[in-house]
Amino acid sequence: MWQSLSVRIFKAMMKEEWRLHQSLVGPLGSGFFPAMIFVFTTFLAVAAPLLLSQMPTATILLMLHAASVAYGLFVGNFGSIGEHVMTRRLGQVSMIMQMPQTYPVSFRRMMAVFYAKDAVFYLLYSYIPLTLGITVAAPMAGASLTGVVMLGLTTFLAFMVGMGLSFTLSAVFVRSRLAGLALYVVLAGIIAMIYPLELVGPECLMPSLGYWASREPYGIGVSVAASFILASIGVALMKEKYEAKQSRYGDSLLEVDRLLGFMGKLSPIVAKEWIEVRRSGALGPVVFSFSGHLLAIYLMSWVFERGVGVDLGFNVVFYSGFVGFMGVMTYSFITNLEHNEYLNVQPVSVDQVVKGKLAVYFALTAGVTALYVVGLGVMKHQMGMVPLGLLLAAATSVYVVGVTSYLTGLWTNTMFFDARIILRFCAAVVPPMIVAEIAALLMPIRPAATYAVVAVSMLLLLVSLPILRGLERKWAGTTFSFVNTGQ
Amino acid sequence: MWIGTLILVYHNHFRHCHSQNPEMAPPVKVMLAIETRDLSKSFGSTRVLQGISLTVNAGEFFGLFGPNGAGKTTLLRILTGQIEPDTGTVVTASVPNTDPIRLKHRVGIVPEAETPPTFLTAQETLELTCRIRGLDEIQGRIEKWIRFFDLEDKKDILCRDLSKGERQKVMLAAAFIHEPELLLLDEPFINLDPIYQRRVREYLQGVASEGCTVFMCTHILEIAGRLCDTIAVIHEGRIVEQGRLEEISRGGDLEEVFLRAVEGVAVA
Repeated sequence: MWQSLSVRIFKAMMKEEWRLHQSLVGPLGSGFFPAMIFVFTTFLAVAAPLLLSQMPTATILLMLHAASVAYGLFVGNFGSIGEHVMTRRLGQVSMIMQMPQTYPVSFRRMMAVFYAKDAVFYLLYSYIPLTLGITVAAPMAGASLTGVVMLGLTTFLAFMVGMGLSFTLSAVFVRSRLAGLALYVVLAGIIAMIYPLELVGPECLMPSLGYWASREPYGIGVSVAASFILASIGVALMKEKYEAKQSRYGDSLLEVDRLLGFMGKLSPIVAKEWIEVRRSGALGPVVFSFSGHLLAIYLMSWVFERGVGVDLGFNVVFYSGFVGFMGVMTYSFITNLEHNEYLNVQPVSVDQVVKGKLAVYFALTAGVTALYVVGLGVMKHQMGMVPLGLLLAAATSVYVVGVTSYLTGLWTNTMFFDARIILRFCAAVVPPMIVAEIAALLMPIRPAATYAVVAVSMLLLLVSLPILRGLERKWAGTTFSFVNTGQ
Repeated sequence: MWIGTLILVYHNHFRHCHSQNPEMAPPVKVMLAIETRDLSKSFGSTRVLQGISLTVNAGEFFGLFGPNGAGKTTLLRILTGQIEPDTGTVVTASVPNTDPIRLKHRVGIVPEAETPPTFLTAQETLELTCRIRGLDEIQGRIEKWIRFFDLEDKKDILCRDLSKGERQKVMLAAAFIHEPELLLLDEPFINLDPIYQRRVREYLQGVASEGCTVFMCTHILEIAGRLCDTIAVIHEGRIVEQGRLEEISRGGDLEEVFLRAVEGVAVA
């Protein structure tokens, strides 16, 4: 009985997920995403022997598994979902997840099924297309079919460990911020023990990676067990009841609004956005995740350099160029904080709120970006490159996040599942980024490359102006319920 | 990153300087508060509205009734510029549906579900409304509505932590606070206890007597029967009855009119 009900809820949730995607990005866009992963992976797998002939297999495996853990960490932050459901932060969207409010089914069971549904969803939507893509290219890439299937399995298990870790951490954080912070410190300690202390191997965090060293199923078994245990802890920590609390706050809106007076008509919207970031508890996580992603780039390149044993010559300007890409995730996070349906009845258009969110994004990331670029300048003894790094970081941030807001509005997280939007994003962002990064790498040997970096930066800033102006044309006619109704 | 903010500020000022502020527009004498011609709307293969032609005179208290799924909320969303019709024209408060921002400046809207901002307090929600609408005497207006709904001890609580009824009060206050010439209300009495139902009813009667037009969708026929001058009944996306209440009720009550129009039932 228990099992059959869970299976029925699981099936219903899968249908709900599929229909939600279809309502947002259409059946074509929804099906196009895994197809794109398949094609992209096939292309990469075919090109891999040529591109990475100098890189040891162990390094490639390490990077693939580390990326999978990071992917899992990014999507598994389900700890606060109960509060979201109970406080109606999903707006008017009614989801199966809300059933425990009125039906005799526990929230923990609902959460367990939801977790399983998400795992299957990511398996179908990401890892099976990825494995199929490599399988098609396997003969050309010189890989065995068994090896490809095992690679799909071990990377998916790394993803599951990341998702379980993220779920457990967020669930603990909701119960006790202190305990949550302590766990984050423990996790940071484990990462530090892997690098730079090198006291333990990366298999400690990614047990399935161990399979490739020993070819024994031990690491796979440990991964399955770790995923299951972490998910179970997360589910067990979910609250069954969310007692009605009454958070009181002093009046801040008009005060913040006054401080932002220089922003004209936009000031009340930006004030609202700023207060939402503060009161939702997102301020710390937003800044932390943005900094973390920037540091991750540095660490990934370190792993690469360590694996190949060659100094790639990545300079401060090169690293600065990645700020925009990392900003996409931060902007997406900010757009997820509130449903904004209230504004449907006010004389405000979606583009104005998008601009408000952009302003908050820039305010939150400016300091971190400056610290990152200056910090790299100090560490790499390249202080002379810092001004140019700051210019490129600012330009890519404005341009890439501007393009993101233009293409996805207030629904970045879901709209990026539309492969057509991802393709348009890549077409707009990748070419100038490649030019900027190649120019940055050439700076030490070709002084003219410096001018190229300046030119690309100025061009990106100039192009950003019509993109930001275009927000009005693109989003003004959309309702704040777009995500609910697809209208 | 401040470069991005500067671009946004520049663009915002640019827009501000080159577009007419609706609040500054000279008042227009509204004779017809709402006029629709041949409106149709479909969602996918489902036709929700078919050939809706309606006129609501300025100063009228108009009630729109219909069974669940008849198309009331969709019509209200079209009237308030939230969605566009597939065919037909709409003019609300002298503003075409194609200019929703100007339209929303002129009207007060209470939506179907009460969804005030999660992380703002009741007081801040009203402040935000006033600032967006460019109103003056903000504190005086807010105090008036906080008192009206007895929210003095709740005004500092986040909207997410308020009860459904309290959220509805915030939504009503936000719709009334700028004293609009036209109110479009979707189930305004829902979640309100009888004390506040009566208080809101009396307020609406008062503003209607002073020339404000009220367009209301509700299932509470008893209240509607006491308030409305003119009604329309919508069924399966079509207007099946329309006119002055006393003319079409033929001495009966609103429930009879409703059942007769929807089911063809003659109630004894």
